[in-house]
Amino acid sequence: MNPEAAKLLGAGLAMGLGAIGPGVGLGILIGKALEAVARQPEVSGEVRTNMFIGIGVTEAVALYAFVVALILVFVA
Amino acid sequence: MNRRRVLLVYLVLGLVALALLAIIPGGQKQEFSVADEFQLEPLVELPSIGPVDLSITKAVVYLWIAAAVLIVLAIVLSRTLKPTPSRFQYAIETLYELARGGIVGSVMTSGRATWFPYIAGAFFFVLVSNFIGLIPLPFAEHHQWGFYSATANLYVTAALALCTFVFTHYAGIRKSGLRYFAGWAPSSAPPVLKQLIFVIHAVSELFRLVSLSVRLFANMLAGHAILGVFFAMALIFQSYLAAVMLQGGSVLIYLFELFVAFIQAFIFAILSAVYIGGALEEGH
Repeated sequence: MNPEAAKLLGAGLAMGLGAIGPGVGLGILIGKALEAVARQPEVSGEVRTNMFIGIGVTEAVALYAFVVALILVFVA
Repeated sequence: MNRRRVLLVYLVLGLVALALLAIIPGGQKQEFSVADEFQLEPLVELPSIGPVDLSITKAVVYLWIAAAVLIVLAIVLSRTLKPTPSRFQYAIETLYELARGGIVGSVMTSGRATWFPYIAGAFFFVLVSNFIGLIPLPFAEHHQWGFYSATANLYVTAALALCTFVFTHYAGIRKSGLRYFAGWAPSSAPPVLKQLIFVIHAVSELFRLVSLSVRLFANMLAGHAILGVFFAMALIFQSYLAAVMLQGGSVLIYLFELFVAFIQAFIFAILSAVYIGGALEEGH
């Protein structure tokens, strides 16, 4: 395979596959947070704060994939 | 009935206009590459001291702008504080309240007064640099107008994350001395397991540094890359049709990026508060 093509293919695969896990994770995370708020609206502030912490940690995984894709395209 | 006919006429006219746009060939060919937008060309060449290059790049200029905006804001606001706040003062007070109650107050259990200035400072600095990144400024190559953000640069975000990293361990050691490190492993575990947990914890501390910096950097970089691609769609496709249709998309992406700019500042500050608060609780 042409190395240039392999690079681009790898970058696309890294980003696409790397986004699956965080996507599922964010769905579960935000869904559960909404459920908690619906059950107990009085703790919504606390739930929201913790939800954002969780979002930050989960989303970082997708961004690692993004960085890997960038490295593949522009550095490797 | 009449109204429907008017609507139909507009629809047909719109379709004809779109078809015309599709037929008309685009303007002169221009090269566009997203990667060029993030190249750091020195604006002012300065001698380097050892391995440290002191040249002023656009990242440095954006940092200066963010610092200047924050300083001016702070001075002006503190001089013109009123008991009945103006809209502007109210907006800043809301952000301050968010930093005080929403971030420090809800996450940290002790040492709030000591660490509030750092966390609020990080929050406002990241917030202002993220928002400045969404304003076109003439610091691209050849003084062209372009988007860039200080926080879309790994060196800047790594320096910010390093501040949090250093302050975390400083806070822990100041609070509980060397017992802080004993708190890294549970005291009830058997000795061999304890050492293993200690090593794992030490590695996770280092990974916090990586994740904190890469998260902010990659979010800003990805946002700016998407904005650049959308704005340059007309150049890429060489067609007015694509340009007109994608302007709507670029406005939506821009609004989303405003949201991301705020959320990322919030997440950076709240994770700093979580890490520092955690270090204060360990060791006892």
